[in-house]
Amino acid sequence: MDASTLTLHVRKNGAGVGRLDVMQMLSGVLLIVFLWAHLMLVSSVLISPKLMNAIAWFFETTYMAQVGGPLIGLLIFAHFLLAARKMPWRAQETNAFVKHSVMMHHKDTWLWLAQVGTALLILVMAATHMWVVLTDLPITAAKSAARIQSGTWLPFYLILLPLAEIHVGIGFYRIGVKYGYITKANRKWYQRLENYMMGGFITIGLLTLIRFLFLTV
Amino acid sequence: MSRRLHIEVFRYNPLDPNSEPHMQSFYVNEYDSMTLFIALNIIRDEQDPTLQFDFCCRAGICGSCGMVINGRPGLACHTQTRDLPDHIVLHPLPVFKLIGDLSVDTGTWFRDAGARIEAWVHNDHEQFDPKAEEVRMENDLANEIFELDRCIECGCCVSACGTARMREDFLGATSIARVARFYLDPRDERNEENYYQVIGNDQGVFGCMGLLGCEDVCPKHIPLQDQLGIMRRMLAIHSVKGILPKRVLEKLQHKGCCHESH
Amino acid sequence: MQIIYSDLLCIGAGLAGERVAVEAAKAGFNVTCLSIVPPRRSHSSAAQGGMQAALGNAIMGDGDTPDVHFADTVKGSDWGCDQEVARIFADTAPIVMREVAHWGVPWNRVEAGVHTYYKGGKPFEAEEKLEKHGLIHARAFGGTAKWRTCYTADGTGRSVLNTLDSMCLRYEVGIHDRTQAETLIHDGENCLGAIVRCLKTGELKAYLATATLIATGGYGRIYKATTNAVICDGGGQIAALDTGLVPMGNMEAIQFHPTGTVPTDILVTEGCRGDGGTLLDVNEYRFMPDYEPEKAELASRDVVSRRMQEHIRKGLGVKSPYGDHLWLDIRHLGEKHITTKLREVYDICTNFLGVNPIHDLIPVRPTQHYSMGGIRTNRDGAAYGLKGLFSAGESACWDMHGFNRLGGNSLAETVVAGRYVGKKIVEFLKGHTVDFKQSAINDAHAKVAARIMEMTKSSSKQESAIQLRDEMHSTMMDNVGIFRNGKDLQKAVDTLDELIDRSKNIKLQGTAIGFNPEISLALRIPGMLKLAQCTAYGALMRTESRGAHTREDFPERNDKDWLNRTLAYWKEGSTRPELKYEDASPYFEIPPGERGYGGGKIIAADIPEEKLRLPKNSAEKKKAKQTKKAS
Ligand SMILES: Cc1cc2nc3c(=O)[nH]c(=O)nc-3n(C[C@H](O)[C@H](O)[C@H](O)COP(=O)(O)OP(=O)(O)OC[C@H]3O[C@@H](n4cnc5c(N)ncnc54)[C@H](O)[C@@H]3O)c2cc1C
Ligand code: HEM
Ligand code: SF4
Ligand code: SF4
Ligand code: FES
Repeated sequence: MDASTLTLHVRKNGAGVGRLDVMQMLSGVLLIVFLWAHLMLVSSVLISPKLMNAIAWFFETTYMAQVGGPLIGLLIFAHFLLAARKMPWRAQETNAFVKHSVMMHHKDTWLWLAQVGTALLILVMAATHMWVVLTDLPITAAKSAARIQSGTWLPFYLILLPLAEIHVGIGFYRIGVKYGYITKANRKWYQRLENYMMGGFITIGLLTLIRFLFLTV
Repeated sequence: MSRRLHIEVFRYNPLDPNSEPHMQSFYVNEYDSMTLFIALNIIRDEQDPTLQFDFCCRAGICGSCGMVINGRPGLACHTQTRDLPDHIVLHPLPVFKLIGDLSVDTGTWFRDAGARIEAWVHNDHEQFDPKAEEVRMENDLANEIFELDRCIECGCCVSACGTARMREDFLGATSIARVARFYLDPRDERNEENYYQVIGNDQGVFGCMGLLGCEDVCPKHIPLQDQLGIMRRMLAIHSVKGILPKRVLEKLQHKGCCHESH
Repeated sequence: MQIIYSDLLCIGAGLAGERVAVEAAKAGFNVTCLSIVPPRRSHSSAAQGGMQAALGNAIMGDGDTPDVHFADTVKGSDWGCDQEVARIFADTAPIVMREVAHWGVPWNRVEAGVHTYYKGGKPFEAEEKLEKHGLIHARAFGGTAKWRTCYTADGTGRSVLNTLDSMCLRYEVGIHDRTQAETLIHDGENCLGAIVRCLKTGELKAYLATATLIATGGYGRIYKATTNAVICDGGGQIAALDTGLVPMGNMEAIQFHPTGTVPTDILVTEGCRGDGGTLLDVNEYRFMPDYEPEKAELASRDVVSRRMQEHIRKGLGVKSPYGDHLWLDIRHLGEKHITTKLREVYDICTNFLGVNPIHDLIPVRPTQHYSMGGIRTNRDGAAYGLKGLFSAGESACWDMHGFNRLGGNSLAETVVAGRYVGKKIVEFLKGHTVDFKQSAINDAHAKVAARIMEMTKSSSKQESAIQLRDEMHSTMMDNVGIFRNGKDLQKAVDTLDELIDRSKNIKLQGTAIGFNPEISLALRIPGMLKLAQCTAYGALMRTESRGAHTREDFPERNDKDWLNRTLAYWKEGSTRPELKYEDASPYFEIPPGERGYGGGKIIAADIPEEKLRLPKNSAEKKKAKQTKKAS
C-alpha cells in the first residue's frame, strides 16, 4: 500500500444507501406485479361477473384479501417513504427540474416529472380507494358496479386508472434503465413496449369501467 | 441558399455590477460549411469583441465549447448552422459556474469530481521497473477501457442531467463512467468495496434517476447508459451481500461484459 | 498583487508540462501547472496517430531497436537534429511507453494470429507472434523503417493526457487553469517565475518559482490555416524571447500538411490520395498530372503541397469566404470504400463541413501542422540564457527533430523529454535556491500592467488587434509557406517590420470589466508578430533547402555552410531578430548523407574526424552495454 491507496481505508459510505436503493426497486417491482395482478382480477368481470366474484371469494375465504390488502397498503407506504427521498420537495428543486425539462425538450426527462406528479395524486387517491374497498368487504362485481354507477366514483376511477398505469409504466421502464436491464441496444424496443403496455392496460381498465357502468345490478 | 442567421446569445458578466443577465441578438450571413465556431468568431471579430465563449481544438476533441444550443447541450464546434433553424438561441451550460456570457468553469468542476472519485489507477506507482517488459493485457480489454477514456469532459451530460440540476453535489454520469473505466482496468487494485466508498451514495450512482439526458446528448457517444446500469447493479448487489443468498446475487450480476473475466 | 510560490512552475499542462510536473511532484516538490484551458483540453489531446518507441513487439516492427529508431529520426531531421538528444530520445522512448502503461494508458496490444494490414492502400497478411501476445502493439507511420508507433485506437493523445492528468491529481500537482503567462520574471541571470493573467477575472498575479518550465506547445496560429488549436499562439515562446536573453532555435523549420480541410483546418488523411483520390481546381479540372505527369497526386507530401500552392497562386483556386482552396475528389471510390476504409474522413466531412464525400467534393488546402523550432535548450532541457528556465515539448527546440519531425515522434517527445528533463529539474531543485528579488517582480508586473493600461486608455492609438492578426495571417500564408524564395520572404520580412511597428499602437475596440477576451488577443499579437518575424527572417537568411524548409532559389541541402542551427535573439525595440548560428550537433554518430526519400542535391561538408565519432565516455558506455547484451 502506498499513499495513493491510503484513502481507501477510511470508510465514508455505509451499505445503507445501496440497500435503500435496492428496497426502493423491490417495492417498485412488487407494486408493478401487484397492480397488474389487480387489473387482471378486476378485468375478469369482462369475461363474466361470476368469474370476478369467484376470484374475490377465493381471496377472501383464504384471508388473502384481509391480510394482503393492508400489506399492500404498507407496501405502498414503504414505497412512498423510499421514493420520497428522490422527490423534489423543495420549491427550488422543482423549479430547477421544471426549467430543465422545458429547456431540454427530452422525453425521458419529462417522464420523471410525470412520475412525480402522478405519485402525489396517487398518494391521496389510492389511499381513498383502498379505504373504501377494504372497509366494505366482500368484494363483489355488484358492489363495484354500484359504486361506478353512483356517479361520483366514475370520474375518480377515470383519473386514478391512467395515473396509476402511467406511474407504473414509467417505473417499469426506469427500473430497467437504472439497473442496466434496458441497455443502449434495446432501449428503443423497451420504450415501445412501455407505450404499448401503458396503452394496453389503460384500455383494459377503461373497458372494465365501462362494463361496470353497464352491468345490471 | 444564403440565409441570414439570427443568433440570440445569453449575455452576463458576473464581475460587472451593472451587468444584468439578458439575451442579445446578432445577425450573421450564413456561408457553406459554417459551424457555430465560425459564426461566433465572426460575431466577436466584427460585432462585439467582448463576447465570451470558449473554443480550443475546434474539431470536437477537446471539450471546450459545450453550450446549450436551442435547448440542448452540445459542442458548438461540432454543430453546423445548416442543421439549425435560422433562429439560433445559445445559453451557457447550466450546473457549472458561469464565467461570463457563454463561458463556464468546467475545469474546476471536473477536477473536484476527479478528486472525489480518486480518478487515478490505484497501484504502487513507485514499483515501476524500467527494465521489465510491460504487463500483458488483452487487446479487447484495452479497447474497452479506451472506449470510456474517450470522454472529453465537455460537461454536456452533466448539464443535461435533471438530478445534477436539482442536487449540486451529484457526480454526474461522466464521473460514474470514469469509475467504471477503473473498474474495468486490472491495473487498478481497488475492489468493489473501494468503489462503493466513492460512488455508493446519493451523490453517486444511487442518485442517478435513469433519465438518460446524459446518454442522449453525449457528443462522443460514451456508453453512459450501459455503464450507469453496470455500476449501479454491481454496487447495489455489493450492498446486500450477506443478506441475499450468494446464488441469487450471482444470477443478478451483470452479464455480457468482460468484468467477469478478471 | 497575489503572489504564489512553488518549487516548480510549469507553464503549460499538455503532455510535456504534466509529465515534468509528475516527475517533480513524485520527488516531493511543490509544483504548480498553468494552462489556458483545463489540462485535458490541451492540444496534445488532438493527436490521434500515436507515439514512436522501438518496442519491436508487432510483427511489422520485428527486430526494431532504439538504434533503428535513432537512425530514422536523424534521417528524418535531414541531419539538422542534435544527435546526442536524438539518441537519448530513442533509447528512453520504450521505457516511457511502458511507464505510462503502468500508470493506466490502455495501449492497443498485440493479438497473436494472422491479421490483414494495409500498406500504401493495399491489403496484405501478417502473423503476429504468440510470444508477443498482449504486449504493446504498433502501427505504421511515414518515414520509418519499422512499424513502431504505439497507439490507443484513434485517441493516443487523449488517453495519455488523461493518464498523466490523473497522475497530477494523485500527486497533488496544483493546477491553475484559465491562466495565461504573460511575461517571465527574471533578474538578468535567473528566471524567477512569471506574471500571469487570470482568464476568469482578468487579474494579474505573480507566480514565483525556483525553476520554471515552458511547455506551451506550438505556435501554429501565426498562420491562418493551421491544424493547431486556437490557443496555440506561442505564449511561452514569446515570454522567453521577450527577455532578450533566451534564443529561439530553428524557427524557420515549420511542417505543413497538404490536405487540411477548409474552413476549420482539420486534417484528412493522406490515405485519400493513396487510395485514388484526385485534386481538382476551380474548374473541377484535375491539375496534378500537368505538373507531375508520372506520379500526379501520389507524388510526395512536399511536392503535392507545393503544386497545390502554386496552382492557387495562379488564381485557379476556389474562392470562398474563408480564402482560396482546392477540391479533393474521392467520389469515384464509392460509398462502401468511403464509409469503411476512409471512415474517419467521412466523419470529419459530414460532422464539420456538411459535405458528403460520397457525392460532394472536399475543400482542402495546405495547412501548417508542426513547429520544429522553439525555445533553444541544452540536452537537459535548460534554456540558453537564463538559469532556472527549462522547456520541453513542442515549445522547445531540444532538437531531436531538426528540420523535419517524423510523424509519431513529437507526441513521444513530449513524454520522453518530460521524463528526462523532469529528472534534470529535480536535480536542479535539489541543489539550488534563489533570491526572489522584489524589484524584478515589480518590473515584470509593471510591464504587463502598463501594456494593458495603454491599450485601454490612450486615445491617440488606433490599430486593431484583429486587423493586425489578419494581415499577419495573409503574409505568412502567401510568403512563408511550404515553398519559399528570397523575393517572397523579403516581402514577408518587410511587411512584418511594419506590422511590428504598428502593433505598438493597438487600441481595444470594446470595454469590459474583469476578463476581456479582446485583451488576450491584443496582448498576444505583438509577440506573435515577433515569432512570425523570427520564422520569416530565419527562412530568408537560410539559403539552402533542408527538411521542411524548402527554398526554390536554393534547392540543394548545403551541409558545407548550413549544417547548423539558427538562434534568434530579440532586442527590445527592434523589428527583427538578431540571428546567430551554432553547430547542428556536437558530434555525428551518423554522418550526413542521403535521406533515401525526398531526393535533392547535397553539398557535402568537411566535418572534422573527431566529430564523426561518439565522444569517448559515451562510446565506452555504449560498448559496455553492447557487450553486456551479447553475453
Ligand atoms: C491535429 C494534430 C495531430 C497530431 N498528431 C500527432 C501524432 O499522431 N503523433 C505525434 O507524434 N504528434 C502529433 N501531433 C503533434 C503533437 O500533438 C504535439 O506536438 C504535442 O502534443 C505537443 O504537446 P505539448 O505538451 O508540447 O503542448 P500542448 O499539448 O499543446 O500543450 C500546451 C499547453 O500550454 C498551455 N499554454 C499555452 N500557452 C500558455 C500560456 N501563455 N500560459 C499558460 N499556459 C499556456 C496550454 O493551455 C496547454 O496546456 C499532432 C498535432 C496536431 C495539431
Ligand atoms: C403512495 C403514493 C406514491 C408515491 C408518493 C410514489 C412516488 C414515487 C416516486 C417519486 C417514484 C420515483 C422514484 C425515483 O425517481 O427514484 C416512484 C417510482 C415508482 N413507483 Fe411510485 N409512488 C406511489 C405509489 C405507487 C403505487 C401505488 C405503485 C404501483 C402500484 C407505484 C409504483 C412505482 C414504481 C414501479 C416505481 C419505479 C421504482 C423505482 O424507480 O425504483 N408507486 N414512485
Ligand atoms: S461523458 Fe460525454 S457528455 Fe459527458 S463529459 Fe464526457 S464526453 Fe462530455
Ligand atoms: S441517467 Fe442519471 S446521470 Fe444520466 S441524466 Fe439521468 S439522472 Fe443524470
Ligand atoms: S473546441 Fe474543442 S470540442 Fe469544440
